Amino acid sequence: MRSSAISASPVDSLLSGTPLRLIVGLILLTNGFFPALWILFTSLKLEPELTQQPITWLPSDPTIQNYVQAFSDQPLGLFLFNSFAVALLSTALTLLVSVLAAYALARLNLRYRGLILSLIIAVSTFPLVTLLVPLFEIMRALNLLNSWTALVLPYTVLSLPICTLMLVSFFEGIPRDLENAAMIDGCTRIGALFKVVVPLAAPGVFTAGILAFVNAWDEFLLALSFNSSPNLRTLPVGIQLYQGEFTFPWPVISAALVVGIVPVAILIVIFQERVVSGLTSGGIKG
Amino acid sequence: MNFKTSAALLVAASILSISAGAAYAQTELKVYISSQHQPDLWRQALDKYEASNPDVKVVIETGGNTSEAQAQYLNTVMTAKDSSLDVLILDIVRPAQFAAAGWTSPFTEVDMSAYLPAYADANTVDGKVIALPAFADAQFLYYRTDLLEKYNISPPSTWEDLRQAASVIKEQENNPDLQGVSFVGKAIEGANCTFLVPYWSQGQELVTDGKLTFDHDAAVNALSLWKGMIDDGTAKANIAEVATDDVRKDFQAGNAIFAVNWSYAWAQAQGPESAVAGKVGVVPVPRMEGGEPTTCLGGWEWSVSAYSTHQEEAHDLVKYLASPEVSKFMAINGALLPTYGDLYTDPEVTAAAPWFANAKAVVETAKPRPVTPRYNEVSEVIRTTVNAVMAGVSTPEEGADLIESRLSRILR
Amino acid sequence: MTMTGSTKSSRTIDGNVTPWWVRYFDPSDRALAVLLLAPAAVLLAMIIVYPVCRLIYTSFFNLSLTSGLPAEFVGFENFQFMLEDPVFWQTTGNTVLITFVTVPGALVVGLALALMANLPFRRQWPVRLSLLIPWALPLSFAGLIFAWFFHSEYGVVNDVLGRFGVEPIIWFNSPQWAMAAICLTIIWKTSSFMALIILAGLQTIPRSLYEAADVDGAGRIRQFFEITLPLLKPSIVVALIFRTITALQTFDIPYMMTNGGPGTSTATLAMYIHQNTVSFLDLGYGSALAVVMFALSMCVTAVYLRMIRTKG
Repeated sequence: MRSSAISASPVDSLLSGTPLRLIVGLILLTNGFFPALWILFTSLKLEPELTQQPITWLPSDPTIQNYVQAFSDQPLGLFLFNSFAVALLSTALTLLVSVLAAYALARLNLRYRGLILSLIIAVSTFPLVTLLVPLFEIMRALNLLNSWTALVLPYTVLSLPICTLMLVSFFEGIPRDLENAAMIDGCTRIGALFKVVVPLAAPGVFTAGILAFVNAWDEFLLALSFNSSPNLRTLPVGIQLYQGEFTFPWPVISAALVVGIVPVAILIVIFQERVVSGLTSGGIKG
Repeated sequence: MNFKTSAALLVAASILSISAGAAYAQTELKVYISSQHQPDLWRQALDKYEASNPDVKVVIETGGNTSEAQAQYLNTVMTAKDSSLDVLILDIVRPAQFAAAGWTSPFTEVDMSAYLPAYADANTVDGKVIALPAFADAQFLYYRTDLLEKYNISPPSTWEDLRQAASVIKEQENNPDLQGVSFVGKAIEGANCTFLVPYWSQGQELVTDGKLTFDHDAAVNALSLWKGMIDDGTAKANIAEVATDDVRKDFQAGNAIFAVNWSYAWAQAQGPESAVAGKVGVVPVPRMEGGEPTTCLGGWEWSVSAYSTHQEEAHDLVKYLASPEVSKFMAINGALLPTYGDLYTDPEVTAAAPWFANAKAVVETAKPRPVTPRYNEVSEVIRTTVNAVMAGVSTPEEGADLIESRLSRILR
Repeated sequence: MTMTGSTKSSRTIDGNVTPWWVRYFDPSDRALAVLLLAPAAVLLAMIIVYPVCRLIYTSFFNLSLTSGLPAEFVGFENFQFMLEDPVFWQTTGNTVLITFVTVPGALVVGLALALMANLPFRRQWPVRLSLLIPWALPLSFAGLIFAWFFHSEYGVVNDVLGRFGVEPIIWFNSPQWAMAAICLTIIWKTSSFMALIILAGLQTIPRSLYEAADVDGAGRIRQFFEITLPLLKPSIVVALIFRTITALQTFDIPYMMTNGGPGTSTATLAMYIHQNTVSFLDLGYGSALAVVMFALSMCVTAVYLRMIRTKG
């Protein structure tokens, strides 16, 4: 990403004037941030201000009352906790499984490598919604409905293909010499994998982890269908509960949305470069 | 599974701190209540029960605040044959479905004649008592007493009266924000009543003994009634976006002369935040020209899960929750309409909610929505069609055709 | 390739840390491959392969949990019913429409965003973040947020339009406007990922190519169509196919924004599957619908796999 400062496209020189660049920058920022900002503003307003005509943009009298209510009306802390637990557990499992698979695909001379890669890609395009019924039956048979595991397993599969593909390309970028050297030193392949390859591919592993985390954090349909018990609801499911039988309290829902966006936003802010490089380099190479 | 138990433990320990302890030899019953149904108040009723039944402990589980969300949640739990819930609160439209699926265990030796007849009917499926009434509800016509008095108009008894009253008042008041009538046009459960009330008023039934008895003309008339009121400006143009609480808000803000709504709107319309407090009247929903007065029956019911491992205790608890004593308590403290006829004139009840005295007549004319195990599908067909007609996507004729063709498949 | 890296790792391995079983447990490539791929295979078998078989099996049965009757084999009846089901055709049509509108839409917007983001801004991180935030925002949140945006009375969209003298639009009252609102939301949500991928492609294009074109006297616009676009093609194609497949599965955004309304005019196939299974508990018909959607997705995937194979 840094290199963009020196690379050039035709539009560059076309719009090199500072005011133009300012405008373009504003367009980009508005496009990216405005919806989130708007929901932040909404969360700081009270119902009367919200239903006022014409509408106000900035809150005239900012209040955190909606946040207080968001936490008191529903166990928002618990929703957050469930979301974190499910996302972290599935991320860990995804990484473990995909590191092993990616190593086999990147390093071992497999006869069916092409076929396996194609299969993985095919799986990554799978419409999970179509599996709602059978998955529901499986979870029910295994007595897993309303448990973290009911979400951790499908979320792992959800991120497995993309993470594996990404890691394959990262592993391929690591010289075999290093690994061979380790093995000459008496290390097994598995030893070399975890002691040489994984540490060297750390940025890739890390990026894969963030992808898996965001995927799990975002998922709504399975969480809605499998974990409906109050103690196990994740955030996207829980946020629906602010809707009453007859009411739709926008300010409180907005506050809950902000609470749900912040953790992922922090993650993205801290690790933005890695996320971008992971998404764009490893992720889409077939 | 390990995850499951450790998850539950962690959750209990770190976040919820659910009423810890209490693990001694007691039967613990879990009661499912929607958080919209004043769980705090039910808690008080349950506390009394616990006090007189020390061997039973009752825990409330809340969730699924809309009728649809609640149905989805219970569908998941019940298909999983989950035994964690003992007692369930059900929307009045669900007992038939739950009975067919075998999800509830019926009551024996209960005298249903003590309840209002409509509730006795709605809770009895194939001669079995599936659930006992928790509280009653019905749709009413709310109106602005101040505006009607100002123009010397009496509350309308037919839709034509309402239309004329609205046009006179709107013209004189000259307020562009003032709507003649507000009602549910959005594709939610309430939109079924929007269709059914004028349909029934023409003396027609939609479903008889589980079979479709569809009258095409009556359906066209019912849909045309509402569409006509949108076209002539009696109702607002975006009524297809209006959900139950939007009706309440518009009326409460003083932006509607008339509104069709459930009983919950009363307390709020007369509350301190209301622009129309003290100017609110309630009468039965108008009838069609030459038709009979009727309205949509609402309310919620208590049932016992077939998968509960404490059948006897759960049945006893439900009998208590559906008793006159609790019904009276909830009427006085929660403004919930009683399911026993004589409570409507009980002095303590009328002291707390004077308008209940008039409400009984309305509840008695109320009809239950179609009783069928496939109610969810019937409901989906009707409410999306009503919504489409209100939005002008289909004409009333097309809407009636669509309802007929889709329902005839579902109710073969 | 640093020396410290290799010496460090060999040192730890040289020590007595390596347990005996690791030293003796050094399987052949083949056995090792089986071992390494096994966890992934088990998970995929459990979460994908078995459910798919189960799905196809159930689609031949009349299995409705609300009927209280046991499952009954009905052959292709569910599929026949589908052909006469107007809602099936409508939801499928909507899904196809959403795909045809939002995939090219996201491409055009994404390309524009990428070209803008590729300008030499002094600070890169705000630009990068502005592309990452829409990507990371949960779909269900985006649906809710934009439902509020398009609210006919209190929404910011109508407020802005009003400032330009446009009459307020009742977005969710008409099928066309509601569909437009949904498509705009999907395009917003997905274009930034498209932009990130295109941006990465842009940054690999050597500057010298443009300099050479300058010498040849090619204009900026010609350079864009003759250098930039052809070189971006591979990354665009891959992104497009992924986008197409996810567009066919559209669920969260219309579910949150319109729940299919008005009528069923904005419902998608995924929503109809969900409704039949979770609300109606009609598992037989729901499975049959899912089989159709599955077939649709696999067709697109087949095209994708073929392209990868021909690429090498």
